[in-house]
Amino acid sequence: MIWLGEFARRFRMLIHRREFDADLEEEIRLHIELRQQEEFQSGMTAYDAQAAARRRFGNTMYLKEESHIAWGWEWLENVAQDVRYGLRTLRKSPGFTAVAILTLAVGIAVNTTVFTAFDALFLRPRPVKDPNSLASIFRTTPGEPRGGFSYPEYLYYRDNSRAFSDLSLFAFGMAVTSSDLPATSPGVVPRVAGAVGFQLPQLLQGSAQPIMCFFVSGNYFPMLGAAPLLGRILLPEDDQANATPVVLMSGNSWQRHFHSDPHVVGSTLHLNGAAFTVIGVTPLDYLATASSIPDLWAPVSAKIAIGTATRQELENRLVIAGFPMGRLKPGVTLSDAQAELGVLAAQLRTQYPEAERNMTVGVASGRSNLAALDSDAWPVVIAAMSAVALLLLIACANVASLLLARAVARRKEIAVRLALGAGRWRLLRQLLTESILLGILAGALGLPLAGWMLHLLIVEIASALPSFWGTIALEINPDIRIFAYTLFVSCAAGIAFGLTPALQASKADVNSALKDDSTAFGYRLSRSWLRGLLIASQMAACLVLLISSALLLRGSQRALKIDPGYNAKSVAFLEMYDPKNLHYSQSQLLQLNRDLIHSIVSLPGVRSVSQASRGPIGGNRWVAVARADATSPPHSTGGGETPLAGYSYVTPNYFDTLGIPIVRGRTFTPREADGRAHVVVISEATARRFWPGEEPIGKLLKIGSEKGSTSFPGERDPFVASSVVIGIAGDVRSMDLRRLDESYLYLPLSQSRQWTSILLVRADGNPTPLLPVIGREFRRVDANLPVLAAPLNTMVSMDPYFVVSRIGGVLASIVGALGLLLACLGVYGVVSYSVVQRTREIGIRMALGAQSVQVLRPVVTEGLRPILFGVALGVLASAGVSRALSATLFGLSPLDPASFAGVSLLLIAIALLATWLPARRATRVDPMLALRYE
Amino acid sequence: MHRDEILLGTLYLLILQTLARSGEMHGYEIASSIQRISEDVLQVEEGSLYPALQRMLIKGWVTAKWGTTAGNRRARYYQLTALGRKQLDAEMSQLERVIGATTRVIEAV
Repeated sequence: MIWLGEFARRFRMLIHRREFDADLEEEIRLHIELRQQEEFQSGMTAYDAQAAARRRFGNTMYLKEESHIAWGWEWLENVAQDVRYGLRTLRKSPGFTAVAILTLAVGIAVNTTVFTAFDALFLRPRPVKDPNSLASIFRTTPGEPRGGFSYPEYLYYRDNSRAFSDLSLFAFGMAVTSSDLPATSPGVVPRVAGAVGFQLPQLLQGSAQPIMCFFVSGNYFPMLGAAPLLGRILLPEDDQANATPVVLMSGNSWQRHFHSDPHVVGSTLHLNGAAFTVIGVTPLDYLATASSIPDLWAPVSAKIAIGTATRQELENRLVIAGFPMGRLKPGVTLSDAQAELGVLAAQLRTQYPEAERNMTVGVASGRSNLAALDSDAWPVVIAAMSAVALLLLIACANVASLLLARAVARRKEIAVRLALGAGRWRLLRQLLTESILLGILAGALGLPLAGWMLHLLIVEIASALPSFWGTIALEINPDIRIFAYTLFVSCAAGIAFGLTPALQASKADVNSALKDDSTAFGYRLSRSWLRGLLIASQMAACLVLLISSALLLRGSQRALKIDPGYNAKSVAFLEMYDPKNLHYSQSQLLQLNRDLIHSIVSLPGVRSVSQASRGPIGGNRWVAVARADATSPPHSTGGGETPLAGYSYVTPNYFDTLGIPIVRGRTFTPREADGRAHVVVISEATARRFWPGEEPIGKLLKIGSEKGSTSFPGERDPFVASSVVIGIAGDVRSMDLRRLDESYLYLPLSQSRQWTSILLVRADGNPTPLLPVIGREFRRVDANLPVLAAPLNTMVSMDPYFVVSRIGGVLASIVGALGLLLACLGVYGVVSYSVVQRTREIGIRMALGAQSVQVLRPVVTEGLRPILFGVALGVLASAGVSRALSATLFGLSPLDPASFAGVSLLLIAIALLATWLPARRATRVDPMLALRYE
Repeated sequence: MHRDEILLGTLYLLILQTLARSGEMHGYEIASSIQRISEDVLQVEEGSLYPALQRMLIKGWVTAKWGTTAGNRRARYYQLTALGRKQLDAEMSQLERVIGATTRVIEAV
């Protein structure tokens, strides 16, 4: 521990530095005086004595420094000195400092925003007790790497696993309606989302408002160590089959819907008609392990009371019930749990070979949501982080070129210091300190900027989503990790943009700098290839971003104009929000539909109303199809794969309502629909595919397979052994907006036997003004029924490729515009310094008779060269990038000349402006002043 | 009067021994003591004492405190510590080893 004592002594010196210096000074003075006295006493003169004493002592200054250095804090003092000097230097040129800090702050803020969002979504440990011992279990089958379990499977693992002290189940969420909700105010209209072109179907005014309920097992909250705000949490006793139906309210819902009424605990809430008692309220913004905050939490057994599941479904091994999350016992690792679960899974496989075929069990850490990132999501994450890193790089490059230019102005100062004996390394360190200082100052500005950006982003996204999807809660309060990240990015940026200019500056040719030769630095500033490269690369990067965004936006614009094959302009899409949860009997539901259709049809302005199991957009369903005569195989796309076709059940007037032409044959008769006759209407493409060159009417088609599978819970795939083709309908684009449906079948919907939630209303013109009227009809027929509604032509925004195109385009244009701004700032700075440098030269030339234009031309040409080079590079790069984007362009050519040419010309024009403005100053130079310029 | 430089690395030893012999001393006294006892043979650049004393302070071989000289001047007095005594022994034996070996080499036939 000797070193501890030594460190303590050194540290004490650090604190008392000044005292120390003074003490040493006094000590040395005493010594010299005593020596002087002695010499004097032995006969020298006073003057000689003093000189002798000093000589004998040695170099006082050097010895004092040596003593000081021995204590080991010189490096720290140098850093402090560099920082003080750096701050002074920055303060001397406020304009440059402001531009640099602002530029970097934007870049750093954007990076911090993306990182914070990523951290909040995936890296932060869950806000529950001891998240490190949590583990989530999932089932892996071919085709689904992370699937859920059925309820019996969950129970099996829960009861037989020794690795987990407790295993709970998160059994999805469901929107429910409650007639006990106090009146709410109308929802807020999303601002930004509307501007970008999104419009999800909105809740129809006047209909009931659904709320979100998450279902969890009884041990969920005790396992997570949750504490209620009011009342109590859900307990295992509440999850029994014959327990009193109870529900836990979220603090957010309590605030928003129930105005923080303390009497809500113990009150009754009717959900989908069933009575529940509210037993407690969670704290505000309590997420547990979910990604959003629901309005209610209910036990899994409540699903039966609410009507979202039957007893049989809960006991069915084939129905996915939810995702288990468990707490590992102390000392048990993830691999231990994995091994044990593997054994249990094997046991299950032998017991239930059919149900558990091809299934393996996987375990992942439940500490944070990181496991939820599947392989599809990572590319998006990486793309986002790369984009913002690119932006920061552009900012750094821009500031670097500014610094390079500034180094010229400081060459005299640097030369003097070099001449006085400063080491190159010392000089380098000081210049780097300045850059890092700039970085840190920019980071200090960037951090609150990021917070503001993030807040804005969240508010906008949250307001664009329907409120009953649950409240998004992102923990975006900056914590030590965010600070550290920002600091790291700031310093890294500081070094990135500061290193090159510092290296160049410290190489200063001392002689010519001192003589103030403006062609110093051993080479002309204008021929600095490095700066040119910086500008060129910035321009190239901006061009890629802007061209990509132009392509994406133009592509998505095309999507809006695509003729889907049906009449989207006059039809309104209405979807009832799962009223089967309202415990209506089948006959009640059918009567409901009859009443609704009857009242809507009689509204003025309504031409026809039809029903369908899926509207012409959204909710794709597939079924296997084959010719019933099975002699020759149909033209299928793959080798031995059964061809698939999209399908929906429709009423006979569907085609008329949507304006889909029946090219040959006819639609169903009402009797055929009611009688469940085995008839089918197929699309033109289907006819071509299965009977090329033949007459398809009257032929037989086999739909589905005998085994019958359940692709979607609660929906059986259709199966008809042999169905007669009675009509051919025109091709439409209903499955994928980018191409006509390959194969599509229309099956008859029996309005007296089958109920669907989708209504399509054909109006005389624009259906939008009819929507409130229709809403009133809904309310009149059934006040408990929530309905989503939208004109069909606005629903194109549900197509995922459109969404990607739009969002991608908007983001790329924002980032690209920011990048362009930064690049132009850089060009401006560099050109203006170049002008300042050449002031003398310009003055001489003008004195010798040159015109403004002649003086201007070399400056502008020089400035433009790297820009043009960058544009050329960028166009080539864009051509490559756009190839990757072609899937989301909706038919727009990846080399669309309008986008390429337009953006390039725009960029060149803006860059030209950035070059010309400072160059203009060159022409205003007074020759006399210039000649005297120093 | 010709003076020789001290052997390399023996400055610490000289200071430590001086302090061991005489208890508390300030810088000038140490210098004078070395000069006197070596009968003026050893030439120590007096200033170099001070960095050495500082290093010894850092290493904990000596402690220092301010006091007053006979002539009523403020001076810093140095004193040997237990650690310093250990160091002194170590350096002493090292010197003896080196000198002994050197002597043997020189006197070898």
